[in-house]
Amino acid sequence: MTRITLIFGIFSCALMAFAVDIAGKVTWNDICPDSRTLHHANVLLDDGKLRGSITRNGTFIIPDVPVGTYVFSVSSHDFVFDNLRIDVRDAEPIPEVRPYVPGTPLDPPSNVLLSYPINVTPRQKHDYFIAPESFNILKMLSNPMMLIMVFGGGMVLAMPYLIKNMDPESLEEFKEQQAKMAGLQNAVRTGDLKSGFTALLSNTGDEQAALPPAAKAVTGGKSRGKKARR
Amino acid sequence: MRLFALFGALLYVASTSWALHESDVGVMDWHKRLVGVPLTGSVATAPTFYTAGNKSLILTATNNNVLAALDSEDGSIAWRYLFEPEDRIAAFYKGADMVVTLSGPGGSTLRTFETLTGEIILEKRMHSPELGHLAEPPYLGKAVAFVPNSSDVYILTNGYTIQHMDGNTGDIKWTWSSPDQSSLVIYSKLVFTSSALYAIGLAKSTASLTLHVTSFSPATGELIHSTNIPSSIENPFAQFTTLTHPEVSIPRAVWLENGAVKSFGLVPKLTGKPVSVKGEEYEGISDIGLGEYGRLVGIKKDGSGKVLKLSNDGLESFWEFKESATSEQHAPSAYAGGIDKNGDPYVVRVYWSHTMKQAVADTFSGHLAEGRGLSTGSLFPFDSRTHGVISHVALSASNQSQYKVISRIVLTTSTGAIQVWEQGQLLWTREESLATIMLAEFVELPEKVVAERLAAQTDEEHWFARVARQLKSTQNLPQYLLHFVKRFVTGSYASASSSAAVTTADAKPSGPLARDAFGFRQVIVAATVMGKVYGIDSSNGDILWSRVLGLGWAQMVGGRVQPVKMFVVKTVSDGGDPEVVLVAQRRADNTLVDTVIFHFNAVTGEDARGVSPADEVFEGLDIISGPIVEAYLLQNDTRVVILLDEYLQVYLYPDTPKTQAAFVQAAPSLTFPLRTSAGGQRRLTGHQVALNLDVSERYVAYPTWTLSLPEKEDISTLIPAMRGPVASLGKVLGNRTTLYKYLNPRLFVLLTASHAVEPTTCGLYVVDSAKGTIVYRVELPSSGGKCDIKTSLTENWLVYHYYDSDSDGTSDVRRSKGYRMVTVELYEGHGVDQKTRSSDMSAYSNETLDLTAYEQAYVFPHAITALAPTSTKFGITSKDLIVATRNNRIQSFPRRLLNPRRPNRKTTAEEAEEYLIPYDPVLPDDPRRVLSHTYEQVANVQQIVTSPALLESTSLVFTLGLDLFLTRVAPSNTFDVLSENFNKVQLVLTVSALAVAIMFTKPMVQRKRLREKWYQ
Repeated sequence: MTRITLIFGIFSCALMAFAVDIAGKVTWNDICPDSRTLHHANVLLDDGKLRGSITRNGTFIIPDVPVGTYVFSVSSHDFVFDNLRIDVRDAEPIPEVRPYVPGTPLDPPSNVLLSYPINVTPRQKHDYFIAPESFNILKMLSNPMMLIMVFGGGMVLAMPYLIKNMDPESLEEFKEQQAKMAGLQNAVRTGDLKSGFTALLSNTGDEQAALPPAAKAVTGGKSRGKKARR
Repeated sequence: MRLFALFGALLYVASTSWALHESDVGVMDWHKRLVGVPLTGSVATAPTFYTAGNKSLILTATNNNVLAALDSEDGSIAWRYLFEPEDRIAAFYKGADMVVTLSGPGGSTLRTFETLTGEIILEKRMHSPELGHLAEPPYLGKAVAFVPNSSDVYILTNGYTIQHMDGNTGDIKWTWSSPDQSSLVIYSKLVFTSSALYAIGLAKSTASLTLHVTSFSPATGELIHSTNIPSSIENPFAQFTTLTHPEVSIPRAVWLENGAVKSFGLVPKLTGKPVSVKGEEYEGISDIGLGEYGRLVGIKKDGSGKVLKLSNDGLESFWEFKESATSEQHAPSAYAGGIDKNGDPYVVRVYWSHTMKQAVADTFSGHLAEGRGLSTGSLFPFDSRTHGVISHVALSASNQSQYKVISRIVLTTSTGAIQVWEQGQLLWTREESLATIMLAEFVELPEKVVAERLAAQTDEEHWFARVARQLKSTQNLPQYLLHFVKRFVTGSYASASSSAAVTTADAKPSGPLARDAFGFRQVIVAATVMGKVYGIDSSNGDILWSRVLGLGWAQMVGGRVQPVKMFVVKTVSDGGDPEVVLVAQRRADNTLVDTVIFHFNAVTGEDARGVSPADEVFEGLDIISGPIVEAYLLQNDTRVVILLDEYLQVYLYPDTPKTQAAFVQAAPSLTFPLRTSAGGQRRLTGHQVALNLDVSERYVAYPTWTLSLPEKEDISTLIPAMRGPVASLGKVLGNRTTLYKYLNPRLFVLLTASHAVEPTTCGLYVVDSAKGTIVYRVELPSSGGKCDIKTSLTENWLVYHYYDSDSDGTSDVRRSKGYRMVTVELYEGHGVDQKTRSSDMSAYSNETLDLTAYEQAYVFPHAITALAPTSTKFGITSKDLIVATRNNRIQSFPRRLLNPRRPNRKTTAEEAEEYLIPYDPVLPDDPRRVLSHTYEQVANVQQIVTSPALLESTSLVFTLGLDLFLTRVAPSNTFDVLSENFNKVQLVLTVSALAVAIMFTKPMVQRKRLREKWYQ
């Protein structure tokens, strides 16, 4: 009943073929000063069938890598590392190491050859959070809306005095303008846009050219939109 | 419909960036780190204490392929190491300050860890995994012997290779392999002495196994002697061990032979003879983990346990536990060994006493009481109703005086819990079976008022009672008013990022479970492989209730309950407490399989059938005496669970006239695919149900169509489409035309693996279940001969992830390699504004294949273990893709990036109006979309479950695998609640500033008006 069962594995031909161990080291820096900060991390070739762990002193070994071209990456939770292209060639004990950018074609390979054993450095620590917006009265006041409001308020108070100090001629002109604006506002209120506009336009002949026809079209569009929705 | 589309477009605008604030950590989400159920089969993997200074850890290897160190004071995880699935942990060995593990086939990989911190000192391949012998049990043929006061270790792997290695550098000093590796000797133990290293194994002889010992020179590896010892061992796992002791010069190999415990002294020349222990007859020996301290427990014929001790005179019996013989009074005993700070050994016997209804721990310490030995007993109230039976014990002891022993024991229970008891007090419990969850469902909770009314059981209260109740509740009015004013002034509303957990301040903990304002608080009902079902509070991860599933008649023979499917059969909107049905298969140890139904009240965990009392084991209803093929939930007005037995007969649960009528009404439209096999080839067959009284009195499913796959193409997985409300039938484009979504409700995804040609290719099909039409099909490359495709189909959106090695096997030139994420959207017709009404089209319409697939592939930055789209209450919010990556993170990818219509150039004004962004082959890996953020390692996620909350904008995301993790996501921002950065202070300030301004200007204006009247 209780018999020792040993199933013999298949002798893989890969064993007979040429294979190298790829060794390397993580260089600690200010971003990641030691393996405790890095936590348990792995180095992978391609999709991770060939892999190695990063040890306490930063070294790693990926054992028995057969001939081929591989993309080397570091799988870490918190840190960003560069990817590399690794070529293991037949009968050559030292693989070729090149930089590689994910998403770019593998061929032609980069002309830059990196040193072996591989040396990788943590490039960046992930920042997972955004800072919450805090309430700041200065920031609130520097808001353009606030500025306009404050300016408007100021103008309301200052206007009578300004008008008082104006010379009669410009006062006349100003009143005329105001009447025109009032007319326009009135037109808007009653819905008689066209007459309001024509009134405005006819009086300011020199501004007629400057007023783009698009503005008309836009208002027209709006009213059409309203109708369509109804 | 159009309005919805417009609304959707608006949402896109809103979804600029949704990210976490640091203050949300632990409020919006929780993470429960687990290690898995300990492997208690052998001393080499079972929990054991490690003490260094005043730190006491429990080391264990677990079912989830994790090596873990738990703090024995509070049960927190000191560290854990996750092994890869193909690299199964075989055994671990603790040295003075490091732990050595052997994993993979034959122990192909060796790792050493710092015991206190878990940092990897060394990782070394001992032999190629292809050369490994797969041993059963896995720890067989592996051993590690430490050299005292040195970093050197001797390692036995594969049953025949011994290596002498420096444990810090990994340098191999010598290697010895048995000359004929396929020989009949399998070594399984190493014993180190300064004069020789002994490898002890078993050789196959004609009838049984014979002990074989080989001795080596420790320094050079030179073989000194090798011999068979005349012996006959029947069970090598339970009847053979070795004993050493620092003060004893001759270690001994010990085994059980024909009712006698025999031992053999190990000297370099192997000249000794087997000696048996005098006296009693034994039935077994129990390795209690004290082999290095020369202690062993022999089980006598009558079942009583006897401590055997190694001394210079050989092996001798030392102490017998009183009343330990097999009896009706108590359950079988478990023995364990432990040491104290001085290295003195203790042995504990733990058993359940039927008479006292408590567990008993008898600790024996041989060196105390002036060397006569001291036995101290303690009772502890082990809860066998919630934790099953004790399956493993480990001990750590300390003694203050000659007659006082404090023993701390760690128990592993049959339901997968780890408990630590000290002097009859429970220190902590870890529910590790949560690492084995197979099925999980979110269940909404009732509103507080409803819950209270339900709790009060006042469904039909008369007028007086009602007035009385309402009068009674008026006493809360001042409190309510105070609360209202406070809320109004300070603006402390429930916000989308506030905690859903009920703090004890604002709710009575004794009150019934109720939901929070936004429905973030739900119950997750989770069924585990260990035969235990949990109700988990989704707001904080606390276990609300747990039930042990009963075995029914199989109680007598033993067995286990395997969850198959789980359905929510009653929701809050149906009135009353929500209910969940678990369909499970019970595999009895006598190979009989039954289908059992467990019907839970999801809020309390009570039996909704009212059969099992709350404090007993939960017994189910045996619905089919045989295995089950499939189970479905019919979701019409009445929710019915439909089960199919192996003869494809239909069973209903609950089986009432009402449900029968509902089923009969729905029967003609039911279509479902099943996996069948014919002539050795697996096929997919569509079925419908019909009643034929000649055949059976039940409805029986009959095949309607067959999807014949090409030869050697195997079906691997069948994934139904995710169901959810569909808010819009189409997508309005920038130029005011509409693409109508292909919303066939009968779609499912089929994954296949084809071995017809090398290398293996993988297939992905989207199939209509009514007539087997293939709607979408794609052939994908395999990765190293394995198909590892993760996919999900929801509405008209299909997304899949795979590894593309981009090799056609012929040339070495490869253009690119990497993970791909492909997003596919299916639309009706062959262009814009073409409508076929696919959502309510007949399955037999000719237009079912009238569709267009838009697809785009992206380079994905990570390997993943699971993916799922978010789901919301009405389906208006855009769906983000939630992904669990292999580097143990949960990350979300916005739907906007996965739009298959992203143009391959600069966007035009119309496209910009649709918020399309130009195509970029690489999907950005934005750390601010990592939902699990600083929670280090949300490990080995197998499944992602998303559930809507009451807020349309927000979806709950729950991941399970090894760890449990829950968070909330708002793919289109929380548009339906006041924004987090809405500034009530600013509003109040502005309004009051305006009020002040009016106050000032009003008299001014009045004065002015007056003046105008005078002077005009």
